[in-house]
Amino acid sequence: MKMIRAIIKPEKVEEVVNALEKEGVISLTKLDVFGRGRQKGIQVGSSIYDELPKVMLMIVLEDAKAEKVVDVIEDNARTGNIGDGKIFVSAVDEAYTIRTGEKGL
Amino acid sequence: MQKTKNALAGVDCPSMTANKVLGRGKQKGLQLLQPEIKPEERKWNGMRMKYIPKRMLSIVVDDAEVDKIVKTIIRVNRTGEIGDGKIFICPLEDAIRVRTGERGEEAI
Repeated sequence: MKMIRAIIKPEKVEEVVNALEKEGVISLTKLDVFGRGRQKGIQVGSSIYDELPKVMLMIVLEDAKAEKVVDVIEDNARTGNIGDGKIFVSAVDEAYTIRTGEKGL
Repeated sequence: MQKTKNALAGVDCPSMTANKVLGRGKQKGLQLLQPEIKPEERKWNGMRMKYIPKRMLSIVVDDAEVDKIVKTIIRVNRTGEIGDGKIFICPLEDAIRVRTGERGEEAI
């Protein structure tokens, strides 16, 4: 299994979530985060904003689906400007459903 | 949440990080269904909760303790209803204690 953590622009979240829904990826967790990228935030006049609000979407799914989902997120979160965000994919060894105690997604 | 914390402290694993998150599972969040509508025609009638507030706990432990902790969390949090949540177990490469600079298992 893979965990995809996508850090994207807050205004793009609904677009991405709806696109994922169409792909059959319904389960996800989202959390508000603050961060900065390679540009060290943005500068407006003399004030520097280096804690930019973003949303992190966390999705766990089978290895085979991971690439497709990354593509979908990429396509829908892109504006072409700096600050579109990043997608990280990491390994997940096990998953449990608390309701049943069963292993697996 | 409090019960989970107590239970985890009871199995010798009090350290954790908690986040308030929003999420949904296979059921697409909560939907208020209109019972008079036939199941095949049921759709959310605008009164839909797309995300459900949850807590996410992050706990870092030795490999050997994973099983015990998963069982504890499942035991405490299980209601048998939809929405009980998920547990994911991921490998971790390293851990560092900021105060002392210790690395690896010593830092946990």
